[in-house]
Amino acid sequence: MAEGYTGPLEQIDPCRWRIPRSYKPGMRVDGIIYADQALIAAIRQDNAPEQVANVACLPGIVGYSLAMPDIHWGYGFCIGGVAATDPQQGGVISPGGVGYDINCGVRLVRTDLTGSDVQPRIKELVGALFEAIPCGVGRGGKIKFNRTELQRLMAEGSRFVVQQGFGWPSDLELTEAGGCIPQAKPELVSNQALERGADQCGTLGSGNHFIEVQVVEEIVDPVAAAAFGLALGQVTLMIHSGSRGLGYQVCEDAIRELRDVPSKYGIDLPDRQLVCAPVESKEGQRYLGAMQAAANFAWANRQILTHLTREVFARFFGRTAENLGMRLVYDVAHNIAKFEQYEVDGKLRTLCVHRKGATRAFPAGHREVPQPYRSVGQPVLVPGDMGRSSWVLVGQPAAMEQTFGSCCHGAGRLLSRGAAIRAAKGRSINQELLERGVVARARGRTGLAEEQPAAYKDVSQVTEAVHASGISRRVARMRPIGVIKG
Amino acid sequence: MGGPGYELFDHTADLGIRVWAPSLPELVPPATEALYAAIGQLRTLDSAAVCDFDLAGDDPAVLLRDYLAEILLLFERERRRLTDLRVRQFTPQHLAVSGQARPVDLAASVLEREVKAVTYHQLAICRRADGYEATCILDI
Repeated sequence: MAEGYTGPLEQIDPCRWRIPRSYKPGMRVDGIIYADQALIAAIRQDNAPEQVANVACLPGIVGYSLAMPDIHWGYGFCIGGVAATDPQQGGVISPGGVGYDINCGVRLVRTDLTGSDVQPRIKELVGALFEAIPCGVGRGGKIKFNRTELQRLMAEGSRFVVQQGFGWPSDLELTEAGGCIPQAKPELVSNQALERGADQCGTLGSGNHFIEVQVVEEIVDPVAAAAFGLALGQVTLMIHSGSRGLGYQVCEDAIRELRDVPSKYGIDLPDRQLVCAPVESKEGQRYLGAMQAAANFAWANRQILTHLTREVFARFFGRTAENLGMRLVYDVAHNIAKFEQYEVDGKLRTLCVHRKGATRAFPAGHREVPQPYRSVGQPVLVPGDMGRSSWVLVGQPAAMEQTFGSCCHGAGRLLSRGAAIRAAKGRSINQELLERGVVARARGRTGLAEEQPAAYKDVSQVTEAVHASGISRRVARMRPIGVIKG
Repeated sequence: MGGPGYELFDHTADLGIRVWAPSLPELVPPATEALYAAIGQLRTLDSAAVCDFDLAGDDPAVLLRDYLAEILLLFERERRRLTDLRVRQFTPQHLAVSGQARPVDLAASVLEREVKAVTYHQLAICRRADGYEATCILDI
């Protein structure tokens, strides 16, 4: 574990802290961390603020190097980091600002079931999900795509797999970017990446990826909740996964290809994990095309996982998924770089927004918010840990003004994996979760210990900080009752 | 220091490996073992295929990282583990390793973690009084 951050953190207001650009040579903008007084104490414990300062050194960065309250130490960028660069001003794209799990993200499915319909049979339901959904280290799936199909899948994203029967056409409108970045260039994805991910579309993976059965326990914003189809006592499903081995390898290939590029363009970096290339350079464009293909793969993956989950529910309850009201609420990417327009110094500019463990949070009226939600804003899905709760928030105008339309993506890790395992020694995490009313199944021997609730910050504290700062507003809180993990 | 060795260490959401040995070439076997230990307890079957890695560069830490990334890919793509290592050369400009790529017996193995990548974060090889020490962070 790092020794902790000892540099400056100047309080701007109750929820924002500044790292001044004078802190270290090379910083082009200030760093801003969103956190309340209690969270900032924990944030100081590791070196994540140093990474916020490092990101501020990237060429073409606009405004601030930002971090959300779920910030923790990553590699290159911190987790919870947001950085926008201007391609017209030499702005760069950095694979480290997206991460290895390209388009890791979350989706939420509502149902017409209530907690009382599900709770008495939750153990059997979790067992059925665990048997049907491929999960665990390196697990391949039953659904295979040949090379031609994989190329189309990476070009078309969710739409391709919906056309194959894995989901409903209405799912597409309720997925960020419609589940596809059309500029993707699958031909730039290496054979190694294809082979690594060939049988992994439709698999959950391991680590912090999960499928969770939840009950809506609190409604804070009834208007937005009604628009999202959420009601008190209702059962929801949350799915967290990404681009699997294909995305990991796309990032590996890119970093290897880009590692000599900064010197070619005269870019001086404080951390080699921040390797980057000007967005407009041929190297930058190559990474973008491959990254976008991996992002489309990830949307297709979550789409198939949704389909498999609907099938399990339909079999288990003896009703069709349509009859169970299993409509997608939304799907958000939280490891991605996208081109978006923002007003900067009175001018509309197209920026490359890196979100590494951060969620897009567009407000009401934005043209990229799906029509059914345009009057309230985009749902922001914030999973917590498997023992406490998860939240749905809604994007607010302040996010456009302050954070390049971004918000937190989760609770944020508090304990390292090793510390969590040591803390679990002599305890049964499964039994503790049962006592909280949560049935959990995991493939890995150490998975439940590493992912135990105490390993994470309290997501309610994290969402309170973004709610108070005004970049997103709380809508609903869900309590987990069942979870499967890899 | 004694002989070559390794340990896994904490890194918030990820995992670090620290390796030590009296010489640069001797860093390679414990680094290999450390990566596999992070994945789990891997048992192999008897059949094997000869596997060679020849990596060029100008930074020994990056060469070691590249080698670890190659054997991670070998595991991810083919579910094979490198055994019977022979480090033919490890200089700041060149790392050459040969070994037997053996199929992992998935039924007899325990896979504990999915290692997404061998990162460049905190990547270093340092000289110590009694040899060398290498560190790197695995993305989990």
